[in-house]
Amino acid sequence: MEKVYVSKTASRGIAVAKIYKYEELDLSPVQCKIPEQDKEGQVSQFLDARESVRAELEKLAVTNEIFSAHLEMVMDFTLEDSVKSKINNDAENAESAVSEAIAEVAAVFEMMDDEYMKERAADIQDVGKRLMAQLKGVQLPDIGNLQEEAIILAKDLFPSDTVKINTDYVKGIITEEGGVTSHVSIIAKNLGIPTLVGVKGILGKLNTGDTVCMDAGEGVIIISPEEAVLNEYKQKKQEYEDEKQRLEKLRDKPVITKDGKKISLCVNVGNAEDIERALPVKMDGVGLFRSELLYMENTHFPTEEEQFQVYKRAAELCTQELTIRTLDIGGDKELPYFEFEKEDNPFLGWRAIRISLDMKEMFKEQLRAILRASAFGNVRIMFPMIISVEELREAKAVVEECKKELREEGKEFCENIETGMMMETPASVLLAEEFAKEADFFSIGTNDLTQYLLAVDRGNKKIADKYSYFHPAVLSAIKHIIDAAHKENIKAGMCGEMAGDVKAAEILLGYGLDEFSMSAGSVDYIREELLKLTGNI
Amino acid sequence: MVSKKVTIVNPSGVHARPASILSKAATECSSEVFLIHGEKKIQPKSILNLMAAALKKGTEIEVQCDGENEEADLKKITELIESGLGE
Repeated sequence: MEKVYVSKTASRGIAVAKIYKYEELDLSPVQCKIPEQDKEGQVSQFLDARESVRAELEKLAVTNEIFSAHLEMVMDFTLEDSVKSKINNDAENAESAVSEAIAEVAAVFEMMDDEYMKERAADIQDVGKRLMAQLKGVQLPDIGNLQEEAIILAKDLFPSDTVKINTDYVKGIITEEGGVTSHVSIIAKNLGIPTLVGVKGILGKLNTGDTVCMDAGEGVIIISPEEAVLNEYKQKKQEYEDEKQRLEKLRDKPVITKDGKKISLCVNVGNAEDIERALPVKMDGVGLFRSELLYMENTHFPTEEEQFQVYKRAAELCTQELTIRTLDIGGDKELPYFEFEKEDNPFLGWRAIRISLDMKEMFKEQLRAILRASAFGNVRIMFPMIISVEELREAKAVVEECKKELREEGKEFCENIETGMMMETPASVLLAEEFAKEADFFSIGTNDLTQYLLAVDRGNKKIADKYSYFHPAVLSAIKHIIDAAHKENIKAGMCGEMAGDVKAAEILLGYGLDEFSMSAGSVDYIREELLKLTGNI
Repeated sequence: MVSKKVTIVNPSGVHARPASILSKAATECSSEVFLIHGEKKIQPKSILNLMAAALKKGTEIEVQCDGENEEADLKKITELIESGLGE
């Protein structure tokens, strides 16, 4: 028995099965120099092979758009020119000309410092393999022929391999190369197959028929497990699948308390893609859309139009409540294109709403974009780091100013858009009653609230044990905020880590929290806990 | 020859799918089409050449078209890039 630990989990889950080693055919070229009169023949051999590959890919492209890109690649004129030049000028035969030309192009991609582009070398090699198999007149090995349950072991899996995966037989995937953004990872995640990638040296340790236990979530592969370990993993696998099934079944159940109040379960996201990925958990909306990612992953302050496109897409994807938090930078979040003055206490410094109110034109671009997106869904605006009623009024006045402009320009937006605030400063807690009269909703940001209330830096390891949202001061602040909200008939939500903590669900429910917003991965667990607590299951 | 500056808006840059769309559109142009990025001169009719340029979101490039139909081709390519290449 041997244990291998892996850090790159592409898709979670547990598998126990025999290995099917997916070995590559030897497609290395037979090299020979060719005489002048053969050159034309070699070029037409290449063109014939390319024609067959084109036909193959055209069929595949109908069901999987990745192959449209492959189709473009194989027909690419730089590839064609390169192959022809190797035949005509260097007197190479078609096989070695193709092999070299593909290797040269793949090398360009492999050298890039961008993880995504590096992975594209695999696309080019995939195209190259097809061409080589055609030239050699051989059939590529086929995962589609698998007849019994197995864990696929391969150097890497290419799109033309993964497209043939039959989930009845493929129970797990282990590759020696590849990263978590590679094709195999994306496809395995979609299919729900436990997958570990980039497992160095694993090919030398395993052969077809060897029994293996893998826990992709934990990142463990156990080779030739003892009977007891084998049974333990079989049981773990069963438990994992039972849990997944149990949680998925609950996704259509709303959380309603005994006194008839519906609790909202929302997600925290950074972009529209996050919303798309979260949709299967069936949330009640987005409780926090962190607009700062849009600013941080950019080369300039995003324009109104750029932001509008993003918010509009988010609103359309989400279809339910979408709470967009205005720019929250400063503190530990900086922008690559904007020089922040060095501050002694950045968390107590020029950040979030303070920046927005000082840089009014930039703030207006964002608010106009959010307002315009409100014509496409149930959008709400949320201001971060508010400490005084004056600030909230000033921010709301800017919203009104933007509305007036849009009205004059004849641009559509929702007139009754809600404006709320994050409750994350001690000042906002103490003034909660006042704020509740002027804000349309509250959202408690427990991460900052905890660190400001306890005067504990959440990044400082030495005092990490002192940082806790279960501290009585934090709990009492949360209760105070919720009570103040309810007194004025507005809703109180929470978008900090605490909302996704199963251990905190009971106390928050008891305090009367209306909305729990968390990372998509936590929703199933919080839903189950709340359903139990409310006696619905 | 005509040219115009545009900015890449695709969130993950010009990766496989947008590159495929741009390359297809460029191939349909009768003019010579080039994308100028700093020192680099990219031929968008070649998807490999285009992908190898790894154009990221926010990158400003100059689109050059040269040929009988250059005005229309330039308009088509720049509008396509500005609209996010089908994304």
